[in-house]
Amino acid sequence: MANSQRRITKELAEVTSDPPAGVTVSLANESNVHEWNIMMDGPPGTPYAGGKFKLLLVLPTDYPFKAPTLNFKTKIWHPNVTFDEKGSMCLGMLKGDVWKPSSKIMSILTAAQQLLVEPNPDDAVEASIAQKFKEDKAGFIKEAQEYTKKYAN
Amino acid sequence: MFQPQPTPYSPFSSYGLIGSAPGAAAGFNYEQHRSPSVVDNGGPTVFRDPVFRPSSGLPSAFHTLSPPPRFKMEAPNPADDLDRQEAMAREYKPNLEGPLVGEKKSSVAIAEEYAKADPVYVAKTAHLPQTYSHYRQIQGDGNCGWRAAAFSYFEILVQTGDKAKIEEELARMTSFGNLLANVGGFDAWLCEDMSGETLDLLKDLASIPNQTEAMALVLEKLNDRSISDTIVYHLRMLASSWLRADPGLYQGFIQGPEGLDGYCKEMQAVNQEIDHLGMTLLIDVLLKPIGVAVEIVYLDRSEGTQANTHLFEPTDSNGVPTHPCAPRIYLLYRPSHYDILYKEITALPIRHDLQVNRATSFSHQHAVQNTTGISNFSSVDMSAILGIPGFSMQPMHNLPPTYPYSDFAPSPMSPSISPITAAVPSPPAEFPLCQKTLLQLPVSVGTPTSFRPSKYNWEAASEWQDTPTFQTNTFKNSHYNTAHYNNSNFQPEQWSPENEEPSTSRKKTG
Repeated sequence: MANSQRRITKELAEVTSDPPAGVTVSLANESNVHEWNIMMDGPPGTPYAGGKFKLLLVLPTDYPFKAPTLNFKTKIWHPNVTFDEKGSMCLGMLKGDVWKPSSKIMSILTAAQQLLVEPNPDDAVEASIAQKFKEDKAGFIKEAQEYTKKYAN
Repeated sequence: MFQPQPTPYSPFSSYGLIGSAPGAAAGFNYEQHRSPSVVDNGGPTVFRDPVFRPSSGLPSAFHTLSPPPRFKMEAPNPADDLDRQEAMAREYKPNLEGPLVGEKKSSVAIAEEYAKADPVYVAKTAHLPQTYSHYRQIQGDGNCGWRAAAFSYFEILVQTGDKAKIEEELARMTSFGNLLANVGGFDAWLCEDMSGETLDLLKDLASIPNQTEAMALVLEKLNDRSISDTIVYHLRMLASSWLRADPGLYQGFIQGPEGLDGYCKEMQAVNQEIDHLGMTLLIDVLLKPIGVAVEIVYLDRSEGTQANTHLFEPTDSNGVPTHPCAPRIYLLYRPSHYDILYKEITALPIRHDLQVNRATSFSHQHAVQNTTGISNFSSVDMSAILGIPGFSMQPMHNLPPTYPYSDFAPSPMSPSISPITAAVPSPPAEFPLCQKTLLQLPVSVGTPTSFRPSKYNWEAASEWQDTPTFQTNTFKNSHYNTAHYNNSNFQPEQWSPENEEPSTSRKKTG
């Protein structure tokens, strides 16, 4: 417990002082270091550009021995994020058998950003979006832009 | 009044194995019926306390002597059976409750656990308690091999009772920081985070002189999930760095297309169970340098009635053990799980509740009752023996002074008690006392536990002197002496002048 808190506090200090471009981090609740609010700008050059996405990062009490979970609180139309209230993101490095305690939250945030730039249709959670992404790129971009306007403003 | 009843095997159904047997047809595949908690379930395995405990107090090795009724003569109902199996498989989840590192228990419990399992396991586990007296359960959360090694490492350091040794180990572990950072390629912050708990515990152990207190601390720390996981992760990092430090030695054992980098990455994932190479690395980096050998007992489905063992011990470059009497750690490996075993000769339980004094041996002496009186023994207080029901004093002195053991009713255990009884002198004057001693010898039914002490002594003795030397006058000229040409290991004696040197030189100086 003590170890976990110490490590999280250290990482929080790191991410707040030097966050990845377009990302701001704050605690959801000042008394609980295990839940982080994250505001992420849609990366430029993607259909998500101009949108502001709110995410929730939950660090388990066993952190860093258990992987954190990352959810989109703002709806996003993306092959690797469930298009529902949960907004669960399927990020490779957060999978149980892949997660390494040496991974840091900073790298999770960068990986999430990267996934917005480059969706991974082969590991999709929304099959219909993935299909559109593969077969009709222009249509995909148009639709994603519409949803970004609708939800992420 | 008391009549043996055909007992349905249902009491064991909660155990998960035989419970599915009644519905099985002949030709039933025993493999499918193995308890889900036993092996090969593909996930982390946990061995719970056995649900079934023999109420008679007999170790279950006894129960295994009679073959379990695998088939019942009822109309088979395969559909029902299959459903039950499926339900069992569906509901099975690894039991992740209980402590990470359990208390030390008698290893008879392992045999009990497996009493209804596959016959290969039954045979192997029944033999286990004869060699390893105790065991300690480790939770099967995917870290058990690492955690078992970590616990044993601290335990054996505490058992040395040597403060200097623990401090030396603290220094060695601290210096491994360089290996982790420079060779292992880990970030400095991670090394610091993960090695902290190991170093703290070593520091604490060095400052506690009392071994019991120190062990309590080790058990407490290794059961605190956060601390325990940190220590385990530190070991993963150490093993991975050790591999990178000497890839030539281990590379050949790395399977899979990912190669060394992939293997190291895999080893660093949490809850990734230790494999054979991982265990070898861990022993090489953690235990061999402090002169500790590790014996792994493999409880698998291979042929034979004894579990295979493999010994990892510190050796020099020629493969000769550098610490022949090194303290040993014993680990029990069952497919995808590790527990800790102990060999403790003194702590062997002797089952007093199972002793049967074979008073029948006196009844067949009744024909020779009326020869002499018991006045010869009047000075000896016999009241204690007379208290035994059915015991008669009279035949005792009719027995010859050198007691023929064959006069006893044949006992299945008699060969094994002979080493004890042979040591009892039986001069005529002391005869009744001698009789008393014989009476108290435990003869138990069907359990190997009661004669284990003597078996141990034998085993230990055979280890001490593999080739006995026959140097007495009687044996020197016999074929028991290796210098005799009839000896199968004939080795002629050689005269070496150096051996005589000291005496001559002493003469000169004197």
